[in-house]
Amino acid sequence: MNRRQFLKYALYGAGGTAIGVSGLGALTKVAPKSAIATTNTEETTVFSACEMCRNQCPIAVKVVNGKVTKIEGNPNDSGFGGVICARGNSGPSLLYDPQRLKKPMIRTGERGTGKYKEVSWDEAYTYIADKLKVIQQDFGGESVAFASRKGPHDWFFRTIGKGIGSPNIFSHEATCPMTRSVALDSMFGVEAIAADYANAKYIVSFGRNWLEGIHIAQTRAIMKAIDNGAKLVVLDPRLSVTASKGEWIPIKGTTDLAFVMAMANIIITEERYDKDFVERYTSGFDQWKEAVKDKTPEWAENETGIPKETIIRITREFAEARPQAILDFGWRTGLTPNDFQLRRAIMIVNMMMGNFEVPGGYYRIKNASVTNRFPEMTGYAKALGAINQPAFPKPVTSRIDGTGIKGIPGQLIPEGDGAVGQIVESILTGQPYQIKAWMVHRFNPVISITESDRVIEALKKLDLLVVCDVYMTDTAMFADVILPECSYLERHEPVYDMSGLTPKYVLRQPAVELVYPDTKPSWQIYKELGEKMDLGKYFPFQNIENYISRQLTPAGLSLSQLKQKGVWTPEGMKPFYLRANDSQASLGNVISKVSQKIEFYSEEVQHATKQGVPQYKRHPQPEEGKFRFVQGKVAVHTNAGTVNVPVLNELMPENSLWINKASADNLGILDGDDIIISSGIYEHKGKAKVTEGIRPDTVFCYHGFGRISPELKRAFGKGINDNKLILNQIGEVGNVCTSMTMVTVKKA
Amino acid sequence: MAKQYGMVIQVAKCIGCQACTVACKFQNEVPEGQYRTKSPVFGPIGTYPNVAMYFEKEACQMCQKAPCVNVCPTKASHYDENGLVMIDPDKCVGCKYCLTACPYDARFINAKTGAADKCTFCFEERVSKGLKPACVSTCVGGSLSFGDVNDPNSDVAKILTKSKSEFRKAEFGTHPSIYYIFDGVVR
Repeated sequence: MNRRQFLKYALYGAGGTAIGVSGLGALTKVAPKSAIATTNTEETTVFSACEMCRNQCPIAVKVVNGKVTKIEGNPNDSGFGGVICARGNSGPSLLYDPQRLKKPMIRTGERGTGKYKEVSWDEAYTYIADKLKVIQQDFGGESVAFASRKGPHDWFFRTIGKGIGSPNIFSHEATCPMTRSVALDSMFGVEAIAADYANAKYIVSFGRNWLEGIHIAQTRAIMKAIDNGAKLVVLDPRLSVTASKGEWIPIKGTTDLAFVMAMANIIITEERYDKDFVERYTSGFDQWKEAVKDKTPEWAENETGIPKETIIRITREFAEARPQAILDFGWRTGLTPNDFQLRRAIMIVNMMMGNFEVPGGYYRIKNASVTNRFPEMTGYAKALGAINQPAFPKPVTSRIDGTGIKGIPGQLIPEGDGAVGQIVESILTGQPYQIKAWMVHRFNPVISITESDRVIEALKKLDLLVVCDVYMTDTAMFADVILPECSYLERHEPVYDMSGLTPKYVLRQPAVELVYPDTKPSWQIYKELGEKMDLGKYFPFQNIENYISRQLTPAGLSLSQLKQKGVWTPEGMKPFYLRANDSQASLGNVISKVSQKIEFYSEEVQHATKQGVPQYKRHPQPEEGKFRFVQGKVAVHTNAGTVNVPVLNELMPENSLWINKASADNLGILDGDDIIISSGIYEHKGKAKVTEGIRPDTVFCYHGFGRISPELKRAFGKGINDNKLILNQIGEVGNVCTSMTMVTVKKA
Repeated sequence: MAKQYGMVIQVAKCIGCQACTVACKFQNEVPEGQYRTKSPVFGPIGTYPNVAMYFEKEACQMCQKAPCVNVCPTKASHYDENGLVMIDPDKCVGCKYCLTACPYDARFINAKTGAADKCTFCFEERVSKGLKPACVSTCVGGSLSFGDVNDPNSDVAKILTKSKSEFRKAEFGTHPSIYYIFDGVVR
């Protein structure tokens, strides 16, 4: 293999697939660059926020003669340092993509056959409003489900749902970090807890992959910590990029809780915990001590496959570094049915080390409403204003997923999120009652919810499916009505609070006029739809500028002020850790539990699940000849969102299945071979990536590929859709369970 | 002392995210399927579970004794006033001698212009205006640094005094201006 070929195969080797082709080819000289006439150029920089993923990183958009030419990180935000990832850099490629949705459309053929007619916005709104009216009359507002990828559009999107009295409003979070949210809520009474990676000296990741699942500020903080000499330990069945930067411990899948409980066992036995912290700020330590008393390193070795000497060594190293030591609580966390207990256990061990409200530990996010509880911090920032709405009709039923019902696990599910996979089940089974219509905003259940075929079966059963997106997604292709949203580079959005150690507000504003004039921003779409549905009173503002001003005025800020830098942080305010200088400082203002304690044992969790402290549950391990199927994120794509974006598709058009070299040898599989992956219920074709970077009993692929919408012309039919193989098992707190599937692999 | 621009790549800090790859494409309007820079993965090397993996950014090495300049029949490839290797597309006839001569495989024929193309350190568009090259500005992992290696106060000079650096294919005698630091990397 020559070098060029080598590069072709190796460039995104971590994805198993090449970056494009080389520049060589039969080319004739066209026009020298300097022959292009230079005219007067008008160049501006617009400060806004990215939306190539969910993180909303601050960006600086370069606009030349009305065209976006380049996107950089916003240098006005020190945490982001003027840096943006490959996806953020690719924004113009999405903006000008001719494959974007350009007109509202109504279905004219069978679902999934791609037959649509272009309609006016008014026709689209009228169609939706009329259909919803009939469904509402016949089955009640609760029979309409709403699901979006969480974001600033939700205020408008969800208003439609609340306006018709539906309790069934969902985010995508059950497919991502929700078990972590549940854990934090149950212990601290609040989800807004973050980690100060940059100042940590010892960081342990349980599959967390900051260097491929990129959040600019957090990724930079991890790299800063490493640069300052921090040790990074990564427990993951496969060698992620993050694992390659630290000590890789290829833990047996689904056994992380055993490792964490053994850490607790060792720390308690060796009395390495922060006794004063535990006594002063926590409750339930005795029950936790009881729960881990037999979780010895020997026991954990048997569960996790990690030698007990390694478990003891890492635990001691971690304890030595306290409180600047972080066991990370994860990001994409719906791995097993009881995943939330793993997240609780992780946070319990953290709190045993007293790493709360100190540099290099965890902290309560310091938004203005928190900082103003402290006399010395008052006056730096004021909270954003809320736009008041009239009272919504009270839903007549409970939610389909049991969210909020006392005494069952649903009690623990965050109300704003819900168990989004239950929508599919309720459509198909009619339990607990029938869902007849589904409104979907910037979310792609066919790829993002487990068991794609089952999702599709459900979509086909609906009386109404409405999808608002920028592409003809794999879900949009089954919709009755498709609403084309404009891209994030063409719209305003409500100002969002991105506070960390100090308050911070970030603006998204248009960099250019609409590229496709018949697309609209989501705020306008739902306001106009709402007006068509006689819900206009719930949208009490004229336009988005008016909405934003009403947010900013109470905060003492103005839209024109925010436009100048794109971000606002209080002048002169230092990162604020409550216990930095006083290890006994009161935490009463940051813990929202009635007990005023960080609850290791939770009465609420006991009531809901009979497990007030986390208990170990052994999950099945793959039998001989089978593999555990795990998945993850890649740096050049965002989940189900970007695989058709031209420049990113060029970098990585498909994924492949990672399989250990020894395992592949046994099956006669060579690198690059066509294979068939089977769960026993579903099959998927793919290509093998034979590697030493994965456990022999595990296979892996990156998420978001294997797309079925033919209108995603670059991505269509390429690679493996992991969720086709994973069953739609709904976890204890409504989460997806993505690590529970066992598969066989054979040569195609 | 005369300016000598150089780029330092701390390989251990490269996370292979390809932010540099994409930033370069937009900064320099590099056509679809073509790249002035990219950061391919090397590895995993070793045998499970004792493995290592790293990424190594590739681009024009800005040689001070550049084979591409030597072979160019039209003087399209030349050294500019700062000693950087540049291409004058008006003079390029697309003969591809330079593509063959480059030991780093860093050149290609630009599908839009038909001329030979490669990294320029973003000199005209950015460095001459006091900015860093696009790849350096957007580097997420903090792997890339750029500046005057002759200026002891520059980032690059400071790093180079602390760490041992290597040139790619030093045996070719090309005297590159890209300094690779492999501290902390298992190869």
